[in-house]
Amino acid sequence: MSKPKILIITTNHSSYPGANAVGQARLSYGSNTYIIRVPDPVMFPEDFYIRAFEKGIAGIIIMSSGSDCPYEGAYERLSKRIQNVYNIMKQKNININRLKLTTICTVCKEAFLKEISDMEKVVQNVN
Amino acid sequence: MEENKIYEKEHTINENYRQKPKVAVYVCHCGGNISDVVDVKKVAEELSKYHDVAISREYAFMCSSTGQDYIVEDIQKNGINRVVIAACSPALHELTFRGALQRAGLNPYLYEHVNIREQVSWVHKNDKEGATKKAISLVKAGVEKVLRQDPLNSIRVEAVKTVAVIGGGVSGMRAALSVAKNGLNAVIIEKSDKLGGKLNRSGNVYPTGEKAISVAENLSKEVLSSDKIKVYFNSEITFVSGYVGNFQINVKRKNGEYEKIKAGAIIIATGFDNYKPYEGEYGYGLNKFVLTLPEFIEALEKSGPGKFNYNGKDINSVSFIHCVGSRQIDGIDKPGKNGKINEYCSRVCCTSLINTANNLKTKYPDVEVFDIYTDIRTYGMDHESYYKEASKNDVIFFRRPLEERPSVEFDGAKIKIKTKDVLTMNEDMEIETDMVVLGVGMVPNDITDLVEYMKLPKSSDGFLQEVHPKLRPVEVANNGIFIAGTAQGPMDILESLQASNTAAVKAAALLASGDIPLDPFVAVVDEDKCTGCEKCPKECSYSGALTMIEKEVNGKKKKVAYVNAALCKGCGACAAVCEPRAINVAGWSLDQFDAMVEAIAKE
Repeated sequence: MSKPKILIITTNHSSYPGANAVGQARLSYGSNTYIIRVPDPVMFPEDFYIRAFEKGIAGIIIMSSGSDCPYEGAYERLSKRIQNVYNIMKQKNININRLKLTTICTVCKEAFLKEISDMEKVVQNVN
Repeated sequence: MEENKIYEKEHTINENYRQKPKVAVYVCHCGGNISDVVDVKKVAEELSKYHDVAISREYAFMCSSTGQDYIVEDIQKNGINRVVIAACSPALHELTFRGALQRAGLNPYLYEHVNIREQVSWVHKNDKEGATKKAISLVKAGVEKVLRQDPLNSIRVEAVKTVAVIGGGVSGMRAALSVAKNGLNAVIIEKSDKLGGKLNRSGNVYPTGEKAISVAENLSKEVLSSDKIKVYFNSEITFVSGYVGNFQINVKRKNGEYEKIKAGAIIIATGFDNYKPYEGEYGYGLNKFVLTLPEFIEALEKSGPGKFNYNGKDINSVSFIHCVGSRQIDGIDKPGKNGKINEYCSRVCCTSLINTANNLKTKYPDVEVFDIYTDIRTYGMDHESYYKEASKNDVIFFRRPLEERPSVEFDGAKIKIKTKDVLTMNEDMEIETDMVVLGVGMVPNDITDLVEYMKLPKSSDGFLQEVHPKLRPVEVANNGIFIAGTAQGPMDILESLQASNTAAVKAAALLASGDIPLDPFVAVVDEDKCTGCEKCPKECSYSGALTMIEKEVNGKKKKVAYVNAALCKGCGACAAVCEPRAINVAGWSLDQFDAMVEAIAKE
């Protein structure tokens, strides 16, 4: 059986270049991680995350741009939306630790690795 | 407001994207960078079996002319109408491959770039099987995305060939002159009745030793004599509207009249403010012989020959204290009115302070000078020579520990400074001095109104924030708005001038052709699906970018969402609240992401 899959949502402005910086430094992490990039994760409705879990994704890390976000008000909206997702997850008995909202900058290599390492611990018993 | 024309530049030549999808997948070896870890043959083979994939190849260097020729040939001869390339980061070659599609006559956006180098082979070198499996899933997700991709056309907007420069200090003047030299018109909007800003009160400037006021006057003369630059003095900005190529700045003049200034781009050169010590901070405000550095520079300028006399007292010794209001530490330093401390290094104060100490020693060689610092950061080209010169001038340095602050005490007419000195193994030092000069840092100018009008991003330090410090250092996220000088953060005059020139050239290049290309990744509305529920405009932070309009759709009048492509930033906040998925960011739709996640989740 394959390892539980972690979906990593990155932003064009910050965390996607941050993920590249990890590669450029030849650091390593598990191959059960799948990075997708978006202008901003604020575009995803609550049910996007629930569907991803239902499809078999074990953990989701949203690596937002945080205070470096170039889009006005987007981070605040995203935070509120993720709170809604947590509420839905609780109703559906999905461990809320399987979804993490964090901030990763273009050079946050250590933080990037730590988030993955933390999520690996959460998802090892999923599936 | 009269709007300039917005139109699309048609990319699509070949209409075959409307036919049944025929996807070509190319897997790059990157000369071993990828293929040493990822089994590229296996990836290509697996993908050749995937639905709607007509061609799946691997090649040593897809970015080479031969690699690109494969793409062109497959599009032209084999009827390929969508392309996926698995290679390095899209930051490097996304545009290269879009160009290949365009040369082949295919819309350049019918293409998806999958990163299997930085985010696969380079990070999973000890797990070749896992890396290959991951690459296969990611490329399949790429195919799913491109299958749902619509052809996109670049958006172009007609531009006013004038650049508005906000602020008439050294940065603003330099930016306006540079704009004019690039053949465009510039308008400077200055709140005071004079050009030059803080340069008018800056003593002599390093590294040339020129009088700052004469630098200001020379620049000012050049600006005022240019027939391409118009200066609005005594002018206060009351509102800014519009978008790249077509901004309107409302200005209130001192005489009460209002003006509307039109500009295609805006350069913000609003400068900085000096940190103002609170009453009692190192004795400031309690004793007239405790001055900030700018106050001291002014006093030194005014003082006549012979003895250094200030406020009726002969000054025989002066003590400078560095890092006042900068490099502050939580729990040690008192937060400002905004509740925050200034953690940043203000960068320029060390050189400025030591330059001033040298000027003092040159003018009054007998005055004793003490310098209490944490770290000397005379970082610029040749700035170290000021430090060396100060040592030669017998300036006596004390290095305080990072987390300790010197105390300034008053004993009658005497001033005593007590500090620990790292240079003498943390010995307690007591300095008796006639005057204390506080090396205050730069803090952001209060431009709250401008920030609000233009929705400008600010860094945690409170200065305006660029998109990327290295790749896009003078641009903010808002298209057509640039930053010049210390509005962005502490910098010296030379750095401000360089930033101003860069901002001016960027603005001039943007407006040079008379119309401006915009990213096509903005929100688009499927009017058939739109129910007119009005949820999406409430999610939009950009005034005028997303509104509701009445429109005839399929012969019936209905209320639909309308996107102004020049104002939309493409964040997608609107898409999240649209239940029928009528609004999406072009090229980044929710249907695409759902399909990608499905492909990734599958075994």
